[in-house]
Amino acid sequence: MINVSVNGEVKELETNLNVSQMIEALEYKVKGFAVAVNTTFVPIAKYDETIIKEGDTIDILAPVQGG
Amino acid sequence: MTKKLESNNTWQIGGKTLSSRLLIGSALYPSPANMEDAIRISGAQIVTVSLRRQAAGEGRGNPFWDIIKSLGIEVLPNTAGSHSAKEAITTAQMAREVFGTNWVKLEVIGDQYNLQPDPFETVKAAEVLIKEGFEVFPYTTDDLVVAKRLADVGCKIIMPWGSMIGSGKGLMNPDNLTAIRKQFPDLQLVVDAGIGKPSHAAQAMELGYDGVLLNSAIALAQDPVKMADAFRLAVEAGRLGYEAGVMKEREFASPSTPTVGTPFWHQFN
Repeated sequence: MINVSVNGEVKELETNLNVSQMIEALEYKVKGFAVAVNTTFVPIAKYDETIIKEGDTIDILAPVQGG
Repeated sequence: MTKKLESNNTWQIGGKTLSSRLLIGSALYPSPANMEDAIRISGAQIVTVSLRRQAAGEGRGNPFWDIIKSLGIEVLPNTAGSHSAKEAITTAQMAREVFGTNWVKLEVIGDQYNLQPDPFETVKAAEVLIKEGFEVFPYTTDDLVVAKRLADVGCKIIMPWGSMIGSGKGLMNPDNLTAIRKQFPDLQLVVDAGIGKPSHAAQAMELGYDGVLLNSAIALAQDPVKMADAFRLAVEAGRLGYEAGVMKEREFASPSTPTVGTPFWHQFN
């Protein structure tokens, strides 16, 4: 198991998950978000090849009001 | 026969042809329904949105985003909250995927107190984003040289502030805004931030600005929907006034009523 930060909260994940598997493990069911790992954007096309590692910082962002 | 005159100019921004010159924000409204009504009545064809951390889904969807999509107008995602070029670039890339647009309102804040944009990081981010195919709407101060640097890196749109975000103080430096307008007659210029009253928006339009972007002035009004209508009219009035050509100021009084034939003429000694 590894520890990562997801949207500022520490989460425990299995080792060697890719981004698609991580999203499933974290139970994100509603689509319409984008993912950054260690402040670098990960496009959907790269979800499967991007492996989450110990200590990674993950941001999952969705639409909100803005000015 | 009199005929109602309307601004006959549609305008182009970011590759789109629009008729409304009011760009509206989607934040701070009393309720989602109020936001929807205000945006609709404003006539705005561009609405700003943002991205924030999302908790793991409970299957509820995103009601806010559903409303925005139902409006059928252009979406302009911002990079609000970014304090470096790197953060802004990442946010823009994420927004492009989520919102399906290459438009981005580039905001890189340099000071937490007055939310003044960081000109150095803004220019740096703009250069990268333009190379990546974004249509960058940079939020900047009313500094002419910063505007030049943004134009140098390829910005076709520049959005100087009227005054601090959310302050409602109006146009702090109309002369600076005029200087930018004169220097860049071919760029799309939008006053962004600091607008508080419809008259402020009209003033920006009278200066020859192509558009006005605001949020708090409508959302924080006692009646946001009515205020949205007021801003619609103010932006139209200001634009029409600009197109009509404002009279030159004069140093001294000049009577508008003819003096020839004045009755009861008094000869002063």
